[in-house]
Amino acid sequence: MTDSNDLELVELFQKGNETSFNELVRRYQEKVYWIARRFVNDHDHADDIVQEVFVKVYSALKLFRGESGFYTWLYRVTVNIALNVLRKQRIRDFIRIDEFFETADDVNDQPDAIFEKDEQQKLIEEAISKLPEKQKAVFILRYHEELSYEEIALILKTSVGGLKANYFHAAKKIGEYVSRAHRTY
Amino acid sequence: MHTEHIKYDLMDYITNRLSEQERIRVEQHLRKCSDCNNQYIELLATDIALKKNHDKVPTSIYYSTILPRVRERLGSHQQSIWHYGYGAAKIVLPIAVSVFLAVFLIRMPKESLSEAEQTEKLHQAVKDLNEDEVVQAVEREYAGLSLSPNQEVAAVGVAEHLQSGRFLKSAISKQIENEEVADMDIEAMISDLDGEQVDQVLSGLSERNIL
Repeated sequence: MTDSNDLELVELFQKGNETSFNELVRRYQEKVYWIARRFVNDHDHADDIVQEVFVKVYSALKLFRGESGFYTWLYRVTVNIALNVLRKQRIRDFIRIDEFFETADDVNDQPDAIFEKDEQQKLIEEAISKLPEKQKAVFILRYHEELSYEEIALILKTSVGGLKANYFHAAKKIGEYVSRAHRTY
Repeated sequence: MHTEHIKYDLMDYITNRLSEQERIRVEQHLRKCSDCNNQYIELLATDIALKKNHDKVPTSIYYSTILPRVRERLGSHQQSIWHYGYGAAKIVLPIAVSVFLAVFLIRMPKESLSEAEQTEKLHQAVKDLNEDEVVQAVEREYAGLSLSPNQEVAAVGVAEHLQSGRFLKSAISKQIENEEVADMDIEAMISDLDGEQVDQVLSGLSERNIL
């Protein structure tokens, strides 16, 4: 990570240099997209999250004091927004709006011609989507983003102890879900 | 080294993210522990399945659209703050959502102390009602129609016995089906909730054993 450079860009932005924000977006847009995509399993929803993250970052960056690294903070914002999207989906599912309102889409079931998925992929995504929030976040950040436990602890604002256990249980549950599904086919 | 600790290192061992020393320690343990060996085989299969999983990646053109769209949103976002008052929206929105949920989830009739005994009887009586009777009663009450004594029992019972979540769910679904809330933009309301508000709604629902 190029965090010292990031902090220089943040400082420039805080002094009124707008183009440094553009540079931060370009630098992290792909990372943010993939974290979001792993959470919601859907390109369009991930894209919405990316937009929301950078709009939020723009407003909050003026108050950013650099107590944590920039990317740690950015990933925290991304994880929180992604979890928020999933929580809202739970509320929607509860009142079953999507049965009555055309505007509501299921985050996990939306058909997407460009990003068509095979059965195995769907199964794995289903397994990940069923994980408890913390296990899901730890799994995505460790397995896919390859972050250290110390970095994950900073992003999730938690202690390092327990993260390894979260990671193990998440992977185990994914494996069990997939093999159970294969047995029933 | 304790089995638990080794177990928790297995995924990192499989994905080659352990130091040399840690890797040797895991390998030594695997030679003598069948339980961890089984876990290792299962996790290895999971890793293979995950690696086979090729996510479709967006084109590079997609990434070039992100910044312009963020900039566009920032422009309209700042404009809407100016025009509609962000501070006011932050206060009004949770109230609107709370009112919405209050109407659909916690329809609590006012009750005076002198009615306590009567209410207790109503609570007992509601247990004998079926779902349709309850739904009908709730619908009539929402519609402002007069209630038969039996329906009053149902309405009070539903409000007081929120643990009967399935009654409430039916009532809400029917309300939506009947388009009695068609003029309320529920989707927009939910979309506009911030993290704290979402948590409040979810904890409210889960306190009532609805979620």
